Amino acid sequence: MAKMKTMILTGTAALLIGGSAQAFEPESDQPIKLMQADWTSMLVHTEILNIVLSTYGYTVEKVIADDSARYPGFESGDLTIALETWQTTQDKAFNASVGTGKVLDMGELGPHAREDWWYPAYMAELCPGLPDWTALKSCAEAFAAPETAPKGRYLGAPVAWGGFDEERIQALDLPFEVVHAGTDAAMFAELKSAYERKAPIMLWVYEPHWAPSVFEGAFVEFPPYEDACYADPAWGLNPNAAHDCGKPQGWIKKMAWAEGEKIWPCAYDIVRKFTMDGDEVGKLVYEVDVNGRSVEDVAMEWATANEAKWREWSACAAN
Amino acid sequence: MTNFGSSAPVALSVSNVWKVFGRDHGSFKSRPASARTAEAMAKDHLVGAVQAASFDIRKGEVFVIMGLSGSGKSTLLRCLTRLIEPSEGEIRFDGQDILSLNETALADLRRRKMGMVFQHFALLPNRTVLGNIAFPLEVQGIARAQAEDRARELVSLVGLSGRESRLPSELSGGQQQRVGIARSLATNPDFWFLDEPFSALDPLIRADLQDEVQRLQREHSRTAVFVTHDLDEAIRLADRIAIMENGRIVQIGTAEDLVTRPATDYVRRFVAKVPPARVICASSLIKAPVAAVSGLTVSGDATIADIASKIVADAGEITVVDPMGKPIGLLDRQKALETMAMKI
Amino acid sequence: MASDALRGKGFGWVYGAASVVVFLAVSILVLPSDFAGSPNAPWLGVAAWVDRAMTWLVRDASIGGLALSDLTRALAAAAQAPIEAMQKVLAEGWVTGAGFNKTQILPPMSWLGLTLGCAFVAYRLAGPALAIFAVVSGLYLASFGLWISAMMTLASVLFCVLVALLLGLALGIRAHRAPHIEPVVRAIMNVMQTVPIFSYLLPTLLLFGYGPSAALFATVAYAMPPMVHATVLALQAVPSDTLDLARMTGCSRRQTLWRVELPVAMPRLAIGLNQVVMMTLNMVIIASMIGAGGLGYDVLRALRRLDFGAAFEAGMAIVVLAVLLDRMTQAMARRQSAGTTGTSGLRTGIILAGLVIVPTLASLAVPALALWPKAATLSIAQPLNDAVSYINQRFFDPLDSLRTFALLKLMNPFRDALQMLPWPLAISAVAVLAGWLGGRGAAFSVFAMGLFVVVTGYWSATMGSLYLTILAVLLSLALGFPFGIWVAAKPRMQQGVQLLLDTLQTLPTLVYLLPAVMLFRNGDFSALIAIVSYSVAPAVRYAIDGMRHVPPERVEAAAMAGCSKWQTFRYVRLPAALPTLLLGVNQTVMMALSMLVIAALVGTRELGQQVFTSLSQGLAGPGIVAGLCVACLALIIDTLLKAAAARAVQRNGVAHD
Ligand SMILES: Nc1ncnc2c1ncn2[C@@H]1O[C@H](COP(=O)(O)OP(=O)(O)OP(=O)(O)O)[C@@H](O)[C@H]1O
Ligand SMILES: [Mg+2]
Repeated sequence: MAKMKTMILTGTAALLIGGSAQAFEPESDQPIKLMQADWTSMLVHTEILNIVLSTYGYTVEKVIADDSARYPGFESGDLTIALETWQTTQDKAFNASVGTGKVLDMGELGPHAREDWWYPAYMAELCPGLPDWTALKSCAEAFAAPETAPKGRYLGAPVAWGGFDEERIQALDLPFEVVHAGTDAAMFAELKSAYERKAPIMLWVYEPHWAPSVFEGAFVEFPPYEDACYADPAWGLNPNAAHDCGKPQGWIKKMAWAEGEKIWPCAYDIVRKFTMDGDEVGKLVYEVDVNGRSVEDVAMEWATANEAKWREWSACAAN
Repeated sequence: MTNFGSSAPVALSVSNVWKVFGRDHGSFKSRPASARTAEAMAKDHLVGAVQAASFDIRKGEVFVIMGLSGSGKSTLLRCLTRLIEPSEGEIRFDGQDILSLNETALADLRRRKMGMVFQHFALLPNRTVLGNIAFPLEVQGIARAQAEDRARELVSLVGLSGRESRLPSELSGGQQQRVGIARSLATNPDFWFLDEPFSALDPLIRADLQDEVQRLQREHSRTAVFVTHDLDEAIRLADRIAIMENGRIVQIGTAEDLVTRPATDYVRRFVAKVPPARVICASSLIKAPVAAVSGLTVSGDATIADIASKIVADAGEITVVDPMGKPIGLLDRQKALETMAMKI
Repeated sequence: MASDALRGKGFGWVYGAASVVVFLAVSILVLPSDFAGSPNAPWLGVAAWVDRAMTWLVRDASIGGLALSDLTRALAAAAQAPIEAMQKVLAEGWVTGAGFNKTQILPPMSWLGLTLGCAFVAYRLAGPALAIFAVVSGLYLASFGLWISAMMTLASVLFCVLVALLLGLALGIRAHRAPHIEPVVRAIMNVMQTVPIFSYLLPTLLLFGYGPSAALFATVAYAMPPMVHATVLALQAVPSDTLDLARMTGCSRRQTLWRVELPVAMPRLAIGLNQVVMMTLNMVIIASMIGAGGLGYDVLRALRRLDFGAAFEAGMAIVVLAVLLDRMTQAMARRQSAGTTGTSGLRTGIILAGLVIVPTLASLAVPALALWPKAATLSIAQPLNDAVSYINQRFFDPLDSLRTFALLKLMNPFRDALQMLPWPLAISAVAVLAGWLGGRGAAFSVFAMGLFVVVTGYWSATMGSLYLTILAVLLSLALGFPFGIWVAAKPRMQQGVQLLLDTLQTLPTLVYLLPAVMLFRNGDFSALIAIVSYSVAPAVRYAIDGMRHVPPERVEAAAMAGCSKWQTFRYVRLPAALPTLLLGVNQTVMMALSMLVIAALVGTRELGQQVFTSLSQGLAGPGIVAGLCVACLALIIDTLLKAAAARAVQRNGVAHD
């Protein structure tokens, strides 16, 4: 028995990481529930926040939730904090949720999302005018598939994401047909397939994502987006239709359960100050997705290297 | 088997039992007697599987129910045990009306007083021989060790010693039914019900088990109701036989009664193939009463076939005696020889 | 039964024909514009009503003063506690703090200890073969770096199997005791199996909270129905003699159930248990989409970065867990039904505890026993990825022309034809068919469900689902039945085929679906592959089962009559197996319908996609209604098949299940 105890103690000591006991006492030991969906950048960011909050003694839980099914959770307090809400797909739902007063907009995370029609570099030869969108009018056939020929095939995002591509094709009179992918993964699987064969493809790509850093290519340049373009048919090239422009660049915002502000004011302060740099995010994602390292390792490495930075965010806990 | 004295008390009394099947069977009770004929009921899609059955069974008697397939034998047996609810009538076990018992009282009565052997054995495939036999005891909440001791006794009683821990799937059909018999006797019941217990077995094993039943009855006689459609089996085992036709009992009597005095043509055809010598008893063929024994003696309840060798071997007088050994009379040799010669 | 049919054929048909004519006339005269077209906009605001009802249910509903959501929350917490405890024991150990002050107080079970313990139990239950399989499985999970995820999954899966098993058993017993509620239970089970979880995810999340308990709920809803069916069938198959025995020995209801019915029914109950295990593990992916973590999450993450090899490794880990769990529980059931006493016994217990605890304690000193060293982790992901790329580069063109042909010449025309079908005609025709097969009740319910689809505005989407389902079922049957019939005659191939079917049922479809997308692009063709690969398994299973149970005396009679092999098959085996084969068709249809939502992940445009779309808009109503439309399809097809099967049984014998 005594022997067993010593063994357990040795084990414990061996596994003890870091050590200095914090003087800071968290406002509450209720668990802070960090939401994570299934894409890499959000996983890394959430793990970094987990490290930061845990270090100051907060009780933290990571809860997996579907990107779109998160709102009831935030309104009821089942979820406390999410670090990524993309305007490109969640704009309406997010604003509606904030409108209820039960959810807080915690500011931007930093990087901006860009999304639009995208083609691999080798397609530029087959369609010389690219990246300007007008080139597509004359070389649509280069992007055709048997079922769309002679029109070009444009692989859109999952229907659920919206994106107004059917409207855009109408408004700009492009000889293309939209085929919707089922998921993010299915969309990029087609890109990978085409890229390996140097086969024609035109699809929806968004950044930050690992794909643009692995596959060489470029976004098509449509007339730049303005709010009026989507709202007012008179705007832009086609006086009779809205959506005659490119897609808006989107913010990525942090969100939180409003009630939590009263429970963990300091933690909320830390989350508000939590920001990441776009290029840095790209690198972290690349480490995980392309080099195949674990999220925990990459996050811990960042936290170790940037300790000064996050200690500064955590001024309220550093008494 | 033994000529049953009418001295034993009535153990099971059945009066006017009906069982009617059909969509509208609930309305049967309110039918007047005139509307209870086969034709009248058939018009309303009712099947009278058992109609107006009445009889008394005495303690220790083996009562056999016989009839063609579909004549209502099983239905009657199942009414007696209340496995199905009779539509009408009265059934008394040792004077107690079982139709008035509630669920628990009925279960209790079955636990204490009834044992049943099934045509297809109904052994539990997950239990060993011992486990199957001990099952009724376990159900009563008897301690395991005690139940297994009793089960072991029964194993040797039915000649399965050494096979206690076999599973049913590892036994032959005959052996399986021996387990079934042992199980039905585990609680030492007063009433024993057997529904075509041997009809799934081949003739040799059937004969073996019939012997077995006879032996068990000799060792400890129980009131038994035995269903079969094998006349030969009925003759071997029965004290009295009830013949059923289309739900009605058409005659109740000893084998000899049925053969010598058939009540209907149906019964006559039924027993037509039985050699009379097999059922007619010595006591039925007495020419003159005597006071003292002279020459050979035979038992009064022995059939002519049983004593054929004595009749043929010796030309002298043969005295018929009762079970106590008291002489009843002299055998009418001429009639006995005629009986033996009677063609089937 | 017979008189019913007669009545149906007498006056009933006159009324039936009259009502069809009247209905068609009304549809043409009153709704002229909609007759030819397919209504896509809802006529009635069903979705909005459902939305309101859900809001009420989640926010305001209460039972005796206790809010429903409080009740479900308590239930969720109660369910989560054992799962979390298991996860601590199996995967995480007892840890306090996190981040920079993470401290481990007790280690989780060592992989070596658990593997040895499992192998020991397997050996005692079923002998050396299963023990070796257990060791190989343990080594695979540990050495491929999948151990922790596998244990997380195992913890929730064990609990799900247990809950589905017990609930299914209880419900099955209930349905068996009260035969009049059996059809209702059957309908509810079909709905539970076919309405995709995503369609009622939002209310579920509100009622049960985020995390494993919502996933548990979804998994049990999907995995329980086969247990209910199996229980009802198993109890029905208990010989009446045996039940009489129970009554004659004076068994109480409880004694009858526990000492007679369940033990005698055990072999058939085991079939239900097998399906519970398979379906639970099949749900691992979907469960991880809504918060269950574990292997399913690994698969999804790997697919996000298109690392097909890693996804395959994690997917195979799910298969390994499924097969191991299935074989061990089957061995337990076999021992139970064979009457062998369990492996209990003090000595066995001590050996088992020793095997598990010694390596776990040793893992404190030897980290390699706690977790397989990273440096020695194996992987076949790279070669697999290379193989996919190679196939893509070499074979894309011929495969693509195959796809183009199938899509343009077969699939699209068929879909267009179905969607062009005027709906009044379509539902009348189906209702008439149902009436002919199964009587008036069947006709009415089929008609009502058809009408539901129309008024809710999902007619065209439903036709999109129907076309995919029909094609998938036909393909599955065309592949599965001949294969099953062929295999049935080869007992030596049994084990292998069983393993293959288990793999098809539990290897997450997405694992091979995304490589398929590389070859066949997004769209209906890839979706068809996904559905077929899943729904072919029941077709094979039931074909084998049906052929196995042909009464041998009929085959001998045919042989004596001088039938050729083909004649024997055509005139004896096939008719005798027909009821079972029809049951197989039914299960194939159910599986195909339950795959629609996965098929939507490769870009279909039908009910499955509608469900996702309304989820992403945060609307509960439309999602539930679209899900109910899937269920309507399922129930209509079930009604037709069940009636057809009843007719076949009348002619040819009983169904085996
Ligand atoms: N549950 C039932 N519902 C309707 N009719 C029944 C039912 N059980 C029995 N019958 C009918 O009652 C009659 C008597 O049946 P029963 O089984 O008692 O005959 P049996 O003499 O035991 O025949 P066998 O020798 O074949 O066992 C038959 O006509 C049978 O069709
Ligand atoms: Mg019978």
